[in-house]
Amino acid sequence: MPLGDCWKNLSWFYYQYLLVTALYMLEPWERTVFNSLLISVLGMAVYTGYVFMPQHIMAILHYFEVVQ
Amino acid sequence: MTESSGSKLLNGEACQRTLRGKNAGKNGFVKNHCVFEHPRKYRRPTERSQNAAPNSSLYKKPFSESFEETPLLVAVLTYMGYGILTIFGYFRDFLRHWNIEKCHIAHEREQQKDFVPLYQDFENFYTRNLYMRIRDNWNRPICSVPGAKVDLVERVTHNYNWTFEHTGKVVKDVINMGSYNYLGFAENTGACASAAIETTHAYGVGVASTRCEIGNLDIHEELEQLVARFLGVESSMAFGMGFATNSMNIPPLTGKGCLILSDELNHASLVLGARLSGSTIRVFKHNNMQSLEKLLRDAIAHGQPRTHRPWKKILIVVEGIYSMEGSIVRLPEVIALKKRYKAYLYLDEAHSIGALGPNGRGVVDYFGLDPKDVDIMMGTFTKSFGAAGGYIGGRKELIDYLRCHSHSALYATSMSPPVAQQIISSMKIIMGEDGSTLGKDRLRQLSENTTYFRRKLREMGFIIYGNDDSPVVPLMLYMPAKIGAFGREMLKRNIGTVVVGFPATPIIESRARFCVSAAHTREMLDTALRAISEVGDLLQLKYSRRERPLSTPGWTYEESLLQD
Repeated sequence: MPLGDCWKNLSWFYYQYLLVTALYMLEPWERTVFNSLLISVLGMAVYTGYVFMPQHIMAILHYFEVVQ
Repeated sequence: MTESSGSKLLNGEACQRTLRGKNAGKNGFVKNHCVFEHPRKYRRPTERSQNAAPNSSLYKKPFSESFEETPLLVAVLTYMGYGILTIFGYFRDFLRHWNIEKCHIAHEREQQKDFVPLYQDFENFYTRNLYMRIRDNWNRPICSVPGAKVDLVERVTHNYNWTFEHTGKVVKDVINMGSYNYLGFAENTGACASAAIETTHAYGVGVASTRCEIGNLDIHEELEQLVARFLGVESSMAFGMGFATNSMNIPPLTGKGCLILSDELNHASLVLGARLSGSTIRVFKHNNMQSLEKLLRDAIAHGQPRTHRPWKKILIVVEGIYSMEGSIVRLPEVIALKKRYKAYLYLDEAHSIGALGPNGRGVVDYFGLDPKDVDIMMGTFTKSFGAAGGYIGGRKELIDYLRCHSHSALYATSMSPPVAQQIISSMKIIMGEDGSTLGKDRLRQLSENTTYFRRKLREMGFIIYGNDDSPVVPLMLYMPAKIGAFGREMLKRNIGTVVVGFPATPIIESRARFCVSAAHTREMLDTALRAISEVGDLLQLKYSRRERPLSTPGWTYEESLLQD
């Protein structure tokens, strides 16, 4: 069952993430706080990248006179 | 490994050449006569591993210890984990301070809030916010004999380890990898237990006095003579408590104007005894003979701090086996140094007596040395003899002095008779005087178990510290969450282990400490090893970067990360 395997794999990765960041030791509400902070920061980074990357790339290419 | 030992030999020879050369009379004379020269400054910083001794004529068999270095990624992630826990610790403390959350631990009363704060130092912060979260791994109540298998009382907590409740059930037959039961004498059946029961019938349990008053029983005298014979010293004295043996007997031996050179990782009882004595204490790096020699030379050359008078005596305090590292002291070199610089040696054989050596006589027996070279041999009966208490052995004048001047002899109650009888019976078994080969069998079983267990763990890819012959096996965990996870996962698989973190170890080097016992059968060790391997795969603990036999199946995440 590939979906089951995928779920097990994801669950193992989540467990490793909990162990490495020491979230394993925290209470569930603390995990929620940390995860939401992390996801919001990552989400903001991804959004900023999505909005501004074309402009940045055009500016770099313009600087190196690859495109006018 | 071989290059560092080769360089040491080379420098040793170079050292002797300068002796006869022109530099013999110049300034810096102190530096040119070292027995053990400093190794060259530049060395590949991959591992600290000492295989051959610099003066290999002192060692009759190879001395192989290894302390593999922490992988860099693991160290960084460990610090990150502690950082996140610290931030959440401050957050919870803030909530407790503003009464948004109830404080379960000791705190000041309302009227004391403006006084000097009592609970704001790092120790209390650590206890409140890190130790409490995984506290269920420690202080587990045991309800049977702590032999090879033990029964645990089941506990649950409903408020994240602040309080525990007993469910009334008992977890039976947990394989015990945590008790200091090296020769398997922690048992409630057999010759030792029967003898102890008879002694209880004869003497009762309490002594109701100190050794100096009316608490000196004939069984104590018999015990002391037996211990002296066992160790090969002139005379010995036994005390009721092992910790008190160290902390109460170093003060009468040294005082102001004496120097104590103690190893970096000495036990708290030795440190307490040294501090209580009022002597000057200098610390040398763990098991490092160059550091010890440098301290000795500086002490003799410069004397006491301001007056430059010679020290009244210099006492080197070392342990036989260091229980957190699993390392064995380099006793031949320490004795060579002691003889050369005319210092005294105090050897604490708490873990090594009964557990090392072909006849079980401790680390002196293991290296094949003369017990008369060690001035004060101290040890405990807690670990290999299945009893409680400690002893000090040495020359008759020393022990007679201690009988009158030791704080423990004057003020502490003497050893309980059944405990003393347990020690007498178990010591006779180890020496072979009870007529059976049980002692020899157990010693052999312990040494086989140790070798097998350590080899298997190394092969699986864990980082194991310490000497190959020591029955104390520390397995490195490093990350704080893995401390709690390891203890819990092993208990789920019915194996009881002791996990250790700060402050008993440096903050990133947390470990799980296994104590191999002669009571463990090969099947028990195999079960334990299988469970450890399973948990190691689940928690990704196989950090070792040495080559191991290619029997590990598949690809592991951590291995690919570490191949940089």
